[in-house]
Amino acid sequence: MGSREEILAKLRAAPKPFTDLPKRDTYLHMVPIADKSPAALRKRFAEEAKKLACEVSEPVSHTDAIQQILALFGENKSVIAWDFANIPLPGLADAFATAGIQIADVRDGSVRVGITGADAALASTGSLVVGSGPGKPRQASLLPALHIAVISPDQIITDLETWFDGQLAKGLQHFRSAAAHVVISGPSRTADIAMELVMGVHGPTRVHVVILP
Amino acid sequence: MKVESQNFIPAAQIAIRNPNIQEAVTTGTRNSYVKRNIAMSTPTLEHGEAMRMQAAEAKRRALRNLPDLLEKAEANMKANGITVEWAQTSQEVCKLVVDIAKKHNVHLVAKSKSMVTEEVALNDILEAEGMEVIETDLGEFIVQIGKTHPSHLLAPIIHMTKPEIRDLMVKELGMTPTDDAGEMTKFAQAHLRRYFLEADMGISGGNFILAETGSICLVTNEGNGRMCTTLPRVHIAVVGIEKVVESVKDYATLTQVLPRSGTGQVMTVYTHMINGPRQLGETDGPEHVYVILVDNGRTKIYDTDYAESLACIRCGACQNACPVYRSTGGLAYGWVYAGPIGAIVTPLLVGMENASPLPQASSLCGACKQVCPVNIDIPRMLLELRHDLVEQGETGKIWDIGIKFWAIGNKSPRLFQMGGSMARFGRKHVLKNNLPGPLGGWTDYRDFPNFAPKSFHQLWKERQAAKNSHNGGSNNG
Repeated sequence: MGSREEILAKLRAAPKPFTDLPKRDTYLHMVPIADKSPAALRKRFAEEAKKLACEVSEPVSHTDAIQQILALFGENKSVIAWDFANIPLPGLADAFATAGIQIADVRDGSVRVGITGADAALASTGSLVVGSGPGKPRQASLLPALHIAVISPDQIITDLETWFDGQLAKGLQHFRSAAAHVVISGPSRTADIAMELVMGVHGPTRVHVVILP
Repeated sequence: MKVESQNFIPAAQIAIRNPNIQEAVTTGTRNSYVKRNIAMSTPTLEHGEAMRMQAAEAKRRALRNLPDLLEKAEANMKANGITVEWAQTSQEVCKLVVDIAKKHNVHLVAKSKSMVTEEVALNDILEAEGMEVIETDLGEFIVQIGKTHPSHLLAPIIHMTKPEIRDLMVKELGMTPTDDAGEMTKFAQAHLRRYFLEADMGISGGNFILAETGSICLVTNEGNGRMCTTLPRVHIAVVGIEKVVESVKDYATLTQVLPRSGTGQVMTVYTHMINGPRQLGETDGPEHVYVILVDNGRTKIYDTDYAESLACIRCGACQNACPVYRSTGGLAYGWVYAGPIGAIVTPLLVGMENASPLPQASSLCGACKQVCPVNIDIPRMLLELRHDLVEQGETGKIWDIGIKFWAIGNKSPRLFQMGGSMARFGRKHVLKNNLPGPLGGWTDYRDFPNFAPKSFHQLWKERQAAKNSHNGGSNNG
């Protein structure tokens, strides 16, 4: 008998624990949110993201958004990026080309800026849900020191529980079609040295969320 | 990892006299404890309690159906292209990892924090096979260069002060001396980046295995857990069998109470779900993903009244809350898991005879249960382990003799009263503040309290006598 069979046999031979567990009849969300109107969720998302030490900007037009993003690049002329088709900001590709910003290899550790879209944004905690896939490289939100995430307001949903409900409604197919999902809640950080909070360890030091009009 | 839990008492005595450990552990645990309390009572304490109960139910339901859920998780992982292996022992885990590494021609291994791999001492084995292994969590990296062990579930170097860490980094890595935690972090980050980019294989643990989708779920604040699992060609997740949860709904609850209980964060920076290897058309992500489901003593625990201990989600809240852990730090416990939950799982995993002092390392104050995100009844299990210790003869002879005398005394009122008078006399005139002989250890650090000047029997007799004289000797009153 192999280890798999032996482990399963031992578990099945043991008396079942917690057989008297009462059946759950409620399901609470971690963060109760009463007002789920789009305006309230947008406001809450921006507030919570700032609490996580994200920078949040809310440009008034797409042109404005592009200007703000280019300003974030400073002197940097390369970026690890999602395909432009996956970033909901038309005209970005042309703007990068005009500004001389090159798309870098995803494993280039010297690149300082990454840009992505997101699959969803969570109002409850100011988090971004980011799936992987063709044209959605994972390193864009991980390797560079600055991660710029561009989201449209209709991507802002209530919370993680709501996102999972949406996935369940679609038969969880996204868990087959995407190799990984990550819920990003602010810039990377550590408090391993004497409990002092330091922002920016292996992942980005800055996360800048652009909420499109 | 070598088990040194039998040395708990002397190791704890040394730790208590070590000002660095006292400063570091006191600050660290208090900090996390306060943050946990705020996060788990937001927006209200009642809501936090209800979430705790919801999480407790989710983990217990998963354990109830553990074999079925493991099979379901395995089927879903396989469907997603993950290779699933099972291991009963430390040796088997190490052999599987070595075989996978050899198969993929691995030379450099980047590891993110994993307690199970500490259990099985994986690094030593990989190094003996000629591979280079680097720990990438900042705390674990310091542990590795200091050749010590993690002392806390979340904060591996909670027992070290900043100057100690600084000196170690200067000595081992040639860092320019600095007292700025940010500078120290930046130095370690720059040192480690090359390893992420060059590593052939990443090894992680797993906070949860999601049966419904076949996902390996990790939480990481530094991002090293994401890098180890997305940059190298091969990723192995080494995960205990008890980590499986049933549904995405359960996972949503558990992965949110975890950071709130551990560090007081509303969410860990990266809440990562790994569903499979890199897909067609992707430019990053591992080409091969393996999961090793580890028993290493867990099936044995499952078959006992201690099955509840398998519900632990390794948040460290019980360590931060425990007055014993706060005084001794984690290293004194002598194995991978310290603090209240460690005092239970250590003897169960390594054998009672190798960790007999640990169930005694508690005042049974109940703080651990109160802060546990899945409401594990740690005090109950500590008491039961103490019972088992007596049954198995792991307690000293002195206790047997003492209890025998106590039993004789309690069977005879005369002897009982005589014993009482002797104890009062002895305390006052002979022993003063100290207990005699082998009991003396108890009074090394405190005075023996005074007995009441008169026993209950005496007081009762006097009271009756006074009553009788008041009533004129009549029995009618």
